[in-house]
Amino acid sequence: MTRISRRLMTATAIAAVLATGAFGAMGTALAADVKKLAIMTPEDPTDYGWNQQGYDAAKAVAEKFGLEFMPATGLGYGDVHPQARELADDGASLIIAHASGYNTAVPEVGAEKKVPVAIVDKEGTGKAGVLADYTLSGHEGAYMAGALAAKMSKSKTVGIVVSGEPPSWNSQSAAFANGVKATDSGVKILYAVIGPAAYSDAAGGKRVTEQLIGAGADVIFGQGDGASFGMLQAVETAKTKTWFIDVIGDKTKIDKGSLLSSVIWDMVPVYTQMVEDLKADKFGSHEYAISLKDNSVQLLHSKHIPDDVWASLEDLRSKIIDGSVKVDRIEDAQKVRALMSQVDPGPAQ
Amino acid sequence: MEGLLTQPFLTALLFGAVTAGVPLLLAGLGEQISEKAGVLNIGIEGMMLFGAYTGFVAAFYTGSFTLGFLAGGVGGAVVASIVMLLCIRFGLNQIVIGIAVTIGFEGLTALLHYFQFSRTYPRLDAAPVIALPGLSQIPVLGPGLFSHNAVVYLAVILVGVFTWMFRSTYVGLNLESAGNKPAALDAAGVSVIKTRALAVLSTGFLAGLGGAYMANVGAGLFVPMMTGGAGFIGIVLAMLARGKPLWVLLGAALFGASLSMTTALQVAGVNVPTDVVQMLPFAMVMLVLVIFARHSVLPPALGLPYVRGDRG
Repeated sequence: MTRISRRLMTATAIAAVLATGAFGAMGTALAADVKKLAIMTPEDPTDYGWNQQGYDAAKAVAEKFGLEFMPATGLGYGDVHPQARELADDGASLIIAHASGYNTAVPEVGAEKKVPVAIVDKEGTGKAGVLADYTLSGHEGAYMAGALAAKMSKSKTVGIVVSGEPPSWNSQSAAFANGVKATDSGVKILYAVIGPAAYSDAAGGKRVTEQLIGAGADVIFGQGDGASFGMLQAVETAKTKTWFIDVIGDKTKIDKGSLLSSVIWDMVPVYTQMVEDLKADKFGSHEYAISLKDNSVQLLHSKHIPDDVWASLEDLRSKIIDGSVKVDRIEDAQKVRALMSQVDPGPAQ
Repeated sequence: MEGLLTQPFLTALLFGAVTAGVPLLLAGLGEQISEKAGVLNIGIEGMMLFGAYTGFVAAFYTGSFTLGFLAGGVGGAVVASIVMLLCIRFGLNQIVIGIAVTIGFEGLTALLHYFQFSRTYPRLDAAPVIALPGLSQIPVLGPGLFSHNAVVYLAVILVGVFTWMFRSTYVGLNLESAGNKPAALDAAGVSVIKTRALAVLSTGFLAGLGGAYMANVGAGLFVPMMTGGAGFIGIVLAMLARGKPLWVLLGAALFGASLSMTTALQVAGVNVPTDVVQMLPFAMVMLVLVIFARHSVLPPALGLPYVRGDRG
């Protein structure tokens, strides 16, 4: 009797261990589990920028793979543990945490609920099946924008205004500066940050932009989410003709004649790859990128860009793609700042 | 560095400092009235935000900046009426209600913006300015300090008016009594409830006007959460000012100048981390706190509901 009990206990224990392992594995979303795609954004997806591009891309990818789309938008920059838990409890197969401020809270919930999570601005933290980073950079496009600014500036002074210094924007600021200097080393580059995380500070965006215009800039390269609209307003109401170059989205629909261009990001290839990686059990094994080569980064061709200038930009694009012009990805804020006063001229365009 | 010394840049720097400081001045003056009357108005951020929204909506649809500022003030007063009802009439906790008002109107204005403007992001033209004859001709200082929208001059005039009112009028005396010894005011036959209610409504109007200035002049548009804590800085300024409007003006000017200086230091290429530069305005406020907070005097009845005959 005693022997039977011991055997039963052993068998039960082995079964329990196996069952726990099986359920644990299921929790990390095997191929068959990818049914619902969730995205969390800090602002509403109507900003013609970061939030809208992320939302639209996630929605497109969900439709492409026949997944249920679970958006959670306008969540702000505070604690998002409750919202992430809700998405996980509702069966999200993947949560895209579309803000650098979410890259602590959402992975914690992902680990707790066994749901894969994608985050930004935390490179090198990927964990197989659990966590992936998609810190994107449109630096190749920003380099082209710098070349465009140098060609269009009449005052020979251009400005960069940013509402924060996340890696993605730092790399674009640096590439823009390098693009300007490579095209015309005589152009002065001014750089100003509105605030530590002034993403929705429209008044700050306008104030800082006006000051750079006052210092002589007649082309502004602005990176700012909601703050971008303040920058745009400053450019539109400037006493001298000033151009605005935007990032990530396309504000052509609301342009009043000052939008020169934009470094547009398409995140569909990135999110597509994430879903495919989940299905192939490769999620978290590598970083994701966007580039000119696959058109996930593009420079907006607005009607304000003269044909000859656009032709030279097309030529530059080809050189970047084939590698004859190399664009460094510089993400460190101090190195970015150093570029504003001292830039290696590089090859002339 | 030589680029910094150009007249347009220095002018833009001064202009930016004034533009950044005026909403704080209006909010701080408003908060000062409430605090004098014994009401701790934590909801001032919500009042500014709603004033920014209503002010922008009115200016955008009518094309009139004057109507926009008026609507902003009324919007702030509408929010203040909630505080008035709940805190003064029903005696609810002023801090809790203040926080609720701020969070509530952050959400409401974000929602209204989403339905109305989030696909079009309309922007106003440049706000009209009044150049003060003679003064506005002074190089750099003139266009930077003496060529502004009428609200700027109004805010500065209010500093003088409030100083006189607090020192030399029965209104000032009543406000002070409502905050220091409300029972004595009541015994003198003046309604504490009415005095405090009018103080809170005035606060709302001024905070709303500050918000409308921020939206219509400072940014030229409305975006959610755009006040970014300006209301809370206004509360700090009011507390540090110890009941003196001139100190609110100095505090707002200091903060505005510090904000403007952050850009100047960056453009000058000062080789320190940007985060350090960005700390400047807040470090200035903390410095002022350390130096002057020991001497700040708050009304004894601040934050306490008044109930006739209640001995606490």
